[in-house]
Amino acid sequence: MTCSSVDLKAYFLGEIAPAEKGGVEDHVRACQECREELDRLRVTQTALLSLEEEEVPQRIAFVSDKVFEPRWWQTIWRSGPAMGFASAAMLAAAILAHAYVRPVAGPVQATVDTAQIEQRVEREVNARLEATVAKAVRESEAKQSQQFAQVMVASEKRFEAKRQDDLAVAQQAARYFEQQRAKLEMAANDSVRPGQ
Amino acid sequence: MIFREVEDRDLIAKARRGHVDAYNVLVSRWEKRVFNYLLRLVGHREDALDLSQDVFLKAYQNLRKLEDPAKFPGWLFRIAHNEAYSLLRKNRPEGELAVEPKSGEANARMFPIELSLAVQSALGLLSDDQREAVLLKVYQGFKFEEMAEILACPVSTVKSRLYTALDLLKQTLAPVNMGGAE
Repeated sequence: MTCSSVDLKAYFLGEIAPAEKGGVEDHVRACQECREELDRLRVTQTALLSLEEEEVPQRIAFVSDKVFEPRWWQTIWRSGPAMGFASAAMLAAAILAHAYVRPVAGPVQATVDTAQIEQRVEREVNARLEATVAKAVRESEAKQSQQFAQVMVASEKRFEAKRQDDLAVAQQAARYFEQQRAKLEMAANDSVRPGQ
Repeated sequence: MIFREVEDRDLIAKARRGHVDAYNVLVSRWEKRVFNYLLRLVGHREDALDLSQDVFLKAYQNLRKLEDPAKFPGWLFRIAHNEAYSLLRKNRPEGELAVEPKSGEANARMFPIELSLAVQSALGLLSDDQREAVLLKVYQGFKFEEMAEILACPVSTVKSRLYTALDLLKQTLAPVNMGGAE
């Protein structure tokens, strides 16, 4: 390893790869110029670090500002673990609530009177059947009444049309007989006039 | 050190949920380092304090954007770097380097010890980029990779700035060191 191939500053600053460190150290032990350069770097660093840090003139602190603070639901929403915990807690509460509220199966069911249930079911079925039949009857009667009314209207129309026709025939016959009477009367007058 | 890291992570998690008190504890742990970094970078106490407050306020407002709490130090110094350079660009024309040492009167108040003055003066001879590289490496102990993230530049650039700065500091501080050794 030569001086030009050694990154002495990287070695001094602790930035050299571990694999190269041994080679650099071997070279520095053998090369006086590099040893002196390393010493100059150390002295310079010591001088730089003699510069003490100043205390901050005043504390930098922030007060709670409601404008910038997230709302309670934003806080929960942005907190993944808290959100997960809340979801799990709600699910557990729902399961427990369901377990307490739902109807209890087993021995209680065995004490129920099945005859009463059958009677109630039968009554309910009969009531619904009667209601359905009554409704069907009402609908049928309404339909028949409507049909009857339609027939009556049609008959009245036909009767009126027939009456009008008969009236027209009668009027025509009356006019014919009147015309014949007028002709006969004229003929009778003509036969009387030559004899005078 | 590990215990401290865990505690910082907890404080960050609490601060993210809106606990200002937790964030204040975090600030109290880091304010001295951030303040001194900014003080040595901008060279003005009042500016450094104002910048420090801005840095911690911005960090609080953007804390939810920090993906890995373990990277909080580098992330915080990245904000500090941006704030400092905004001020430096505003106070200094584009491209001008900080070749002038800081005011001797001001430095005398800040660093009364002779060696401290010499160091402060030597740091003032560096460019902003070179000085910042020294501050992040020598005083804050960041790795090259972390510095590259803070400064938003390649590692090769970080090394170039730092190595040049160390060569300049060696030359500038050599008489002081020799005098101190005598």
